[in-house]
Amino acid sequence: MKIVTKHPLVFAVSLMATVAAGWGCKDFLEKASEPLGTLDQNTLLNKAGVEGSLLSAYRILDCTSQFQPDWGCAASNWVWGSVTSDDAYKGSESTDQPPIDDIEQYHWSTGKSEDYLNTKWRGVYEGVSRANATLSLLKQVQEAKPGEIDEETANGIRGEAVFLRAHYHFEAWRMWGNVPYYREDDTDFKKPNLQSDAVVTEILKDLDEAIGLLPTGPRNGQKGRADQWTAKAYKGRLQVYAGQFADALTTLREVQSAGPYALETSFDKVWTGYSDEANGKETIFAYQASSNDGETNGNNANYGERLNFPHSGSPFGCCGFHQPSQNLVNYFRVDAAGLPLALSDPSWNSNNANFTAANNTVAVDPRLDWTVGRDGVPYKDWGKHAASWIRAPAYGGTYSPKKNAHEKTSGAESSVGWVPTQLNSVNIHIFRYADLLLLLAEAEVEAGSPANAQTIVNQIRARAGVAVQGPGVDAAGAANRALIAVPINDPSITWATYRVGQYGGTWTQAEARDRVRAERRLELAMEGQRFFDLRRWGIAEQTLNDYIAVEKNRRTQLGAAEAFTQRHRYFPIPAIQIELSKSNGQNTLTQNPGW
Amino acid sequence: METMLGKHSFPHRRPHRLWAVGLSFLMALVLLGAVRGTALSQEISVTGTVTEKSGFPLRGVTVRATGTDATATTNQYGKYTILAPSSGELTFTLIGQKPGRASIGGRTTVDITLERISFLEEVVVTAYSESQKRSEITGAVSGVNVEQVQKRTGASVLQRLDAAVPGVTVDASGSPGSRSTVRIRGVSSFQNNDPLYIIDGVAAQDSYINFLNPNDIQSIQVLKDASAASIYGARASNGVVIIETTKRGASGPPKTTVRVRSGVASPVRGYDDILLTDPNAYYQVFKTSYENAGQAVPENIYGSPTSPTIPKYIWPNNCGPDEAAGVCSNVDPASYAYPDNLIMASSSGTNWWKEVFGPAYVGDYNVDVAGGSADNAYLVSANYFDQNGTAKYNRFQRGSLRVNTNFQRRKWSFGENLAVSTDRHNGGLPDDPTGYAEDGILGKNILMQPIVPVRDVAGNFASGKAVSLGNQSNPLKYAFAHKDDLTKNDRIFGSLFAGYDINSRFALRTRVGFNRTQGETSFFTPITPENSEPQTTNSNFENQNDTRDWAWSNTLKYLQNFNKHGVSVLVGQEVSKTTNRFLQGQCSGFIDTDVNSRYLSDVLCDASTKQVFSTGYENALLSFFGKADYNYANRYIATFTLRQDGSSNLGPDHRWGTFPAVGLGWRLSQESFMRDNKTFSDVMLRFGWGLTGNQSIPSGRIVAQYSGDRGDTYYDIAGSNSSVAAGYRLTALGNPDLKWEENNSLNMGADITLFSGKVDLVVDVYQRKTNNLLFAPQNPATAGIAAPAIVNVGKMKNTGIDFSIGHRSTSWSVNFNGSHYSNEIESIDGDADFFYGPISTRFGNQVINQVGQPIGAFYGYKTEGLFRDDADVAAHAQQDGAQPGRIKFKDVNGDGQITLADRTIIGTPHPDFTAGLDVGFYRGAWDLTATVFGTFGNDIFENQKEFYVFREFSTNVRKDLLNNSWTPDRPNAKYPRLDVSDTYSSALSDFYVEDGSYVRLRSVQLGYNVPSKYIRFLQATRVYLQAENLFTITGYDALDPALPAANITQAAGDVRDQYRGIDRGSYPSNRMFSLGIVTSF
Repeated sequence: MKIVTKHPLVFAVSLMATVAAGWGCKDFLEKASEPLGTLDQNTLLNKAGVEGSLLSAYRILDCTSQFQPDWGCAASNWVWGSVTSDDAYKGSESTDQPPIDDIEQYHWSTGKSEDYLNTKWRGVYEGVSRANATLSLLKQVQEAKPGEIDEETANGIRGEAVFLRAHYHFEAWRMWGNVPYYREDDTDFKKPNLQSDAVVTEILKDLDEAIGLLPTGPRNGQKGRADQWTAKAYKGRLQVYAGQFADALTTLREVQSAGPYALETSFDKVWTGYSDEANGKETIFAYQASSNDGETNGNNANYGERLNFPHSGSPFGCCGFHQPSQNLVNYFRVDAAGLPLALSDPSWNSNNANFTAANNTVAVDPRLDWTVGRDGVPYKDWGKHAASWIRAPAYGGTYSPKKNAHEKTSGAESSVGWVPTQLNSVNIHIFRYADLLLLLAEAEVEAGSPANAQTIVNQIRARAGVAVQGPGVDAAGAANRALIAVPINDPSITWATYRVGQYGGTWTQAEARDRVRAERRLELAMEGQRFFDLRRWGIAEQTLNDYIAVEKNRRTQLGAAEAFTQRHRYFPIPAIQIELSKSNGQNTLTQNPGW
Repeated sequence: METMLGKHSFPHRRPHRLWAVGLSFLMALVLLGAVRGTALSQEISVTGTVTEKSGFPLRGVTVRATGTDATATTNQYGKYTILAPSSGELTFTLIGQKPGRASIGGRTTVDITLERISFLEEVVVTAYSESQKRSEITGAVSGVNVEQVQKRTGASVLQRLDAAVPGVTVDASGSPGSRSTVRIRGVSSFQNNDPLYIIDGVAAQDSYINFLNPNDIQSIQVLKDASAASIYGARASNGVVIIETTKRGASGPPKTTVRVRSGVASPVRGYDDILLTDPNAYYQVFKTSYENAGQAVPENIYGSPTSPTIPKYIWPNNCGPDEAAGVCSNVDPASYAYPDNLIMASSSGTNWWKEVFGPAYVGDYNVDVAGGSADNAYLVSANYFDQNGTAKYNRFQRGSLRVNTNFQRRKWSFGENLAVSTDRHNGGLPDDPTGYAEDGILGKNILMQPIVPVRDVAGNFASGKAVSLGNQSNPLKYAFAHKDDLTKNDRIFGSLFAGYDINSRFALRTRVGFNRTQGETSFFTPITPENSEPQTTNSNFENQNDTRDWAWSNTLKYLQNFNKHGVSVLVGQEVSKTTNRFLQGQCSGFIDTDVNSRYLSDVLCDASTKQVFSTGYENALLSFFGKADYNYANRYIATFTLRQDGSSNLGPDHRWGTFPAVGLGWRLSQESFMRDNKTFSDVMLRFGWGLTGNQSIPSGRIVAQYSGDRGDTYYDIAGSNSSVAAGYRLTALGNPDLKWEENNSLNMGADITLFSGKVDLVVDVYQRKTNNLLFAPQNPATAGIAAPAIVNVGKMKNTGIDFSIGHRSTSWSVNFNGSHYSNEIESIDGDADFFYGPISTRFGNQVINQVGQPIGAFYGYKTEGLFRDDADVAAHAQQDGAQPGRIKFKDVNGDGQITLADRTIIGTPHPDFTAGLDVGFYRGAWDLTATVFGTFGNDIFENQKEFYVFREFSTNVRKDLLNNSWTPDRPNAKYPRLDVSDTYSSALSDFYVEDGSYVRLRSVQLGYNVPSKYIRFLQATRVYLQAENLFTITGYDALDPALPAANITQAAGDVRDQYRGIDRGSYPSNRMFSLGIVTSF
């Protein structure tokens, strides 16, 4: 106290100096500057970090859970590949998700379409960016810790990441054609877009690299991973898409003859919630959905498909989107030989009425009832589809999607999340063997060997006749797995006449082309492929304008559709991305023609 | 669920609450009447008159006899009577007058004249608890009329600042305990624009301040410009609000004050004023919409359009799985089973608004005891505040206790301020929906059609399960299901301080402040089998949030006056740190949904769904500062401030920021040529310039962050369909070069007293320029979705004027304040000249931040009316879906087609002018005061039109929709043609933009100061009747033009200022009537 009273200033100054010294040390601010509860790059500079980064690149195959509120980047491409085509309507009712109406009606330059397009764009480039992040992390680990990852593993990781990068660019290319290509060394994210052909060259380069690096079977035996055969198959796919039929023939024939793939024994095993049947021989590449995996919102359980279930009167409850079109249902009608009526009878599409179990004398391809939910027809093992399952029949038609739905007895249903009855672990096929065979058949047709195409088409048709939708439930109404698929002539079938025949005779190239295309529609209906096929074949304009001309009388809202013209060849690049990619005030991304 | 519903009865609140109002009031009177004052011996009765200089009697002067606890108040004639010791002394105090003092000296009549304190002589607390006379302040500092603030009823003091200070705006919702958005002089940053609150010397940045009992507040000063605020440098760029609770100068025996207020609140306006409540009327809209679209009218509810009827049941809408769709006529109610077989009868017209919203009780109870002597002062205050929401089942309660003490021991002084509070918020109804509009209770209210009954045939909640009835939840069920959701905040806030006056020139002060908050929330989601999109699994989450702030400041003050020179220097140092930890868990599938079973336990819920995580953050500030004031003859004043702050949020090489400020003042009235000027009795001109800083960004953003999430980066690579393996991704990019955002502010002002103190006028004009704006510009998608790095780019400017003019006499007073600002984004970054708002609604993003425009401008198409006919369609630029009766958009760029490029600025949420008016009339024991607030020229984006005009999700619609929608006979209709296939007219456009101007009578209070002869034992008693939001004049035809800001936080921080003025269903303001009593003894 004396010191204080005698030398108050000394005290004051020394007090403040002490305080300043105590707190002034650099550490105080430094220590508080670190983020808490996250990882930094150094923590991930090891094998586990690189593998984890690679997994996140797979996970974004479906990105809807992170890109709410829209469904533009569902793994199945149902918005872009199905609803835009003659396979399906948006469905549900007009006031729900109106942006998809704009997309369905080819109004792609509206703000509502823009939001969805932007979601897809962001989704694919996030895939690219996660793949590239894995590659650069791998490089850093190899430089910093040479022994950390053995060479075989390193090649495998690199090969998978490069494959994924190729896949995401393929998705971008199929949507927009002229897109920028990004590799791990890129630091400028405002690169100009490449011309469509140049994009193909880049994707091929990556696929070839992946083929060179990847092992012949999935690494660690994990079925979700891409291996050398996945990359080869994908290469063939790209070659067909790019019209390089001669090269495609070489690639795809090798996969057919030497690859590990085969068709599932029956069609019901292709899209299924039974995990013992998932990832069978037909799977080339699939989004591996999982439910009840400890995630509390069901985000991994096909979030992208969650709207695509029958509505409130059904066991699923919601939401009635992605409804098969009347045109598609009619397309499944067959003639006396069990061949598509659409190829022989010009009035195949004349039926405007709800095609239900009451029409059980009209012969149909059995794949109809694996693809479409119809009134009075068993819906897998959930009992019979009923009118009350449909949300707004005048608007969305009377049919429900079916491939993405799980079987009641499969245990694939989520127990958490919003309306968990429509969340499941059914894997989404991104590329399956039947798809590959039909691409091969196309290449055979274009390369002048229609007989080979005929063999493939008949192979696929034979499989289609192995099993058909059965009652699904026993006499007491209880779901029963054994009753879901039954032989085509099973007496329990009262709701339909199933018939699927083989093509005989010798095909001309033109016949072959039509028949391969018809088969492709029947086999892959509602799988998000149709629109891209029509465009690839150069018949989108005619097919879709014809489709709308008829369909607008069935679904009046389609009367507002814009004519499908040359500019619809590619989707418009999201305007916001063009803006964000400006450099020094100049656009670096060029908008697609006509938009 | 059935048992859950069965267990709880529904309280009949309204009559019960009204009763409580009266009862509590009576009880308070009885209680107070029972307390007896103590009488002293040798007392005489003293009477007298108190007048002001002009001879006018002063009413309401508090007269105290020193040494006793006797107090009296003068009446309208300035007369008082008091019992006082004949040798004692009397003191006379009245706000706005210099205190008077007179010895009794045995007299029985003591008259006195009090002298008015001129505006510039008022003493206010500014920096670091130092007081200054207003005439020494060169910056823009506004005092708040605390008396007016205490007349308002919001739970938080922030809500009560509305209309009180020029240049300060406050937006809050009617939700009890609502968050407040206080903005001082516009918006200076893209994120985090909350001012800094200094409560008894301790900093707080908090949009609620619910822990502070408004009745404990003694003074509030708002430092609006940098020359005043830069002493608080680091966090001062949005202005500083200094709140002092300390009751200084209270001396004498313990004085107890009791304040009780009870009231009833009800929403100003309801959706039942706007929406249909008649199912038949709704059907007409529904039918017309389908018919106009050429579509078949769905028949599942009303049957055939040729003979529609309200059906007996709306669910099931057919009788069995094999039945065709259509109205079901043979429902067997006995087959009802919850949740699998629900049966809902139709309603003849549910008024959903009335089901959910209604009058609600509000009570506010305070007791404080204050006293002290020459060397000590203390205040102990307790508060219980109870506000029910106008929406059912939600409620805010607060209990707080404050102890302020202050001791003097020779050259030492020390003391503490301590507030302990707990608040509980039941019901989980947020101020505004954080997701889509329909996620909030207001949105749910719109979404329900009038034919949907409140309850099903078994008494469980019903909803629109059937097709075409929409797909949302019963709003009453939503409220009921969340009634046990509880958000609790426990707070200890305060400081310890000590001072040592070294000698007459030097004084040392030290203060340790602390602010400890523990919050808890639980949120239950029930199953909703009655919905068309049912929730089939219940779930509950709970979290705990623990934040600790501490700060230690030390200052040394030097004061020296010689001749006409006055110098004062303050130097100081401060250090503060915040640490936070947040823990959350959730689980689904609770076996028993009772609130007592909602614990995260394997046996209570589905263990496989249980998930727990925690997060945290910390940041620190280290500061050195100095301030020098120089004053020559009270005529020329100069202030210099310099502050250095180091922030842990910023890059290692840029942590330290220097914030200088200069203020100059010229008290013109002290000049010889102005002395004795009859008009200008006092004039002070002020000029200020200064820099302030902002570093309010999330901590840890100087390095790249990697993370992952089970639902985001984890993947089922093994193809098991039921398990995932860990994955990681880059979640946020870092920027090691982050530096201070700087606000460069210029202020010029004048404080003028006119006509011998009859009128006070304060005017300030300012310009605030923000440089190095902290901002996270969106990256192109090709760079990935990781949160973009926060960088220092961008510039923003606010220019404005604010003023107040007031007059106060003994019989009436008036104070008018007004302000105008204009905000402009001057640059964003090198490449982009705009970026969109932070969130989208169902129909897209309606907000743009664009160079040359204010922050948060509305963006969309301009409309040109409705298409009249086919010829009009053909003549117009090509527009998707163009048809007669649909909205016509303007071809802004003239390229012959309507595309995204035609969107343009269509409105701004920023007002041109805001004003507050306080008036008071004093007549005898009666007084009447009122506050009016007005805002002019601001736009509202009425997003609810998505629903009640365009019927997104088959919602209810506006009453005037059918008769004001386009038909060939009504070519200039208010609304487009009803048409379910019209997905085009709803594109975001100025069709949604409405003028948001309004004038509102915020509060009016009629008070009566009960003469002591009626209540002998009480020294001063006041009873009052109060009404709030009694009327609003506005052209805005929706629920409430007073909108709170949305609650939006992104990786770069709180970005609510990018999303203002958008009506998407926020809790409406309340109209409130209350009755109160204040008494002391």
